[in-house]
Amino acid sequence: MPSYKFNYFDLRGKGETCRLCFIAAGVPFEDHRIDRAAWPGEYKAETPFGQLPYLEIDGKKFAQSGAIASYISREYGLYGTSSLEALSIDGVVGLAADYFTNWAKSYFEADASKKTELQSKLKNTDLPSFLANLEKILTANGSGYFVGNQLTLADLSVYDVLENSYRDHPSVYKSYPNVLENRKAIAALPRIAEYLSKRKATEI
Amino acid sequence: MPAFRLHYFDSRGRAEIARLMFNAAGQEFDDVRYSKEEWPAFKPKTPLGQLPVLEVDGELYAESGAIFNYLARELGFYGNGNIEALQIDIVIGIAKDFYPNLLKVFYTQEEQAKKELIQKLVTEDATQFFTKYEQLLKDNGSSYFVGNGLTLADIVVYDVIEYLLPLRADILEPFPLLQANRKTVESNPRIAAYLKTRK
Repeated sequence: MPSYKFNYFDLRGKGETCRLCFIAAGVPFEDHRIDRAAWPGEYKAETPFGQLPYLEIDGKKFAQSGAIASYISREYGLYGTSSLEALSIDGVVGLAADYFTNWAKSYFEADASKKTELQSKLKNTDLPSFLANLEKILTANGSGYFVGNQLTLADLSVYDVLENSYRDHPSVYKSYPNVLENRKAIAALPRIAEYLSKRKATEI
Repeated sequence: MPAFRLHYFDSRGRAEIARLMFNAAGQEFDDVRYSKEEWPAFKPKTPLGQLPVLEVDGELYAESGAIFNYLARELGFYGNGNIEALQIDIVIGIAKDFYPNLLKVFYTQEEQAKKELIQKLVTEDATQFFTKYEQLLKDNGSSYFVGNGLTLADIVVYDVIEYLLPLRADILEPFPLLQANRKTVESNPRIAAYLKTRK
């Protein structure tokens, strides 16, 4: 097995899905967390393109969180059992990425009144719309997982991208029972449960 | 190979990358195009109420990125092995970071605001974006982004630059490797033939 070193800030952000993939697959990796206050410092020059996260595979550096998560998933059995299942997984991951973009817009907006507007849009439109699509997919698939019969990158991506919204707007989830069931089931998987029990809470 | 039907509007948009791959592979497919009037009738049949949709032996699949990756796997444009796939995904990820800037320009109606966005797009944004690509081409050392042959990475970059050239014709001037890569894609015989017939 190659040696893995994952480099990201000490928060969830764009890196947590990658960490969850390593953990769910039981693959050892160095979880290098960089203090936001110490960035850029000497760290930025070490990155492939001036950004985090990046993964070192036997010392060779690879950027892009989505690419990294897909790589780990393909390598360690989190990408389904066929090319068509991979297509379905990528579809869910695409939806999660769109939701992340909406969340990020609402979180990082500098203008106070625009921010309020975006936060309201997130809670009242983006989130229910995303959850409705997820509920549809889970209902149609019927196994409790998004694709096939076992944990895939789809479940991990959704679990992670909904972390902030689940904390901030739990009432919205009531209308999406299969999404709630899936979330509970993922959190209860042994390796993930162990990780979550020790994980320190971060704002994002 | 399954029977493929690609459903989209009558434009390049979020389907052209798929069309380029089908043509580059010499793979037959149904290039279904909906007019504005025809779309509402098909919309409820789609998984997410959006296009493109790829029909594979009668099953419909949504999400353009997912569709491109699937076709790349099936048609031989995903490199050899997991590390090359990772490298291809990195090129795509960089493009995904850039698309919002491009889309903002298209969706902005107000003339002055649009002008300013275009200016930023074709200077700062494009420079940042192309510098990464030039580096990746340099690191790979061939005229392709990954390995020694055409992959989804080359096609994605080809497609996004097609939107930028009309906004600034000399946009690739500082990037010789990107220029060479573009020429390589354009001179692929099947792609060249397709580009000739494309309206």
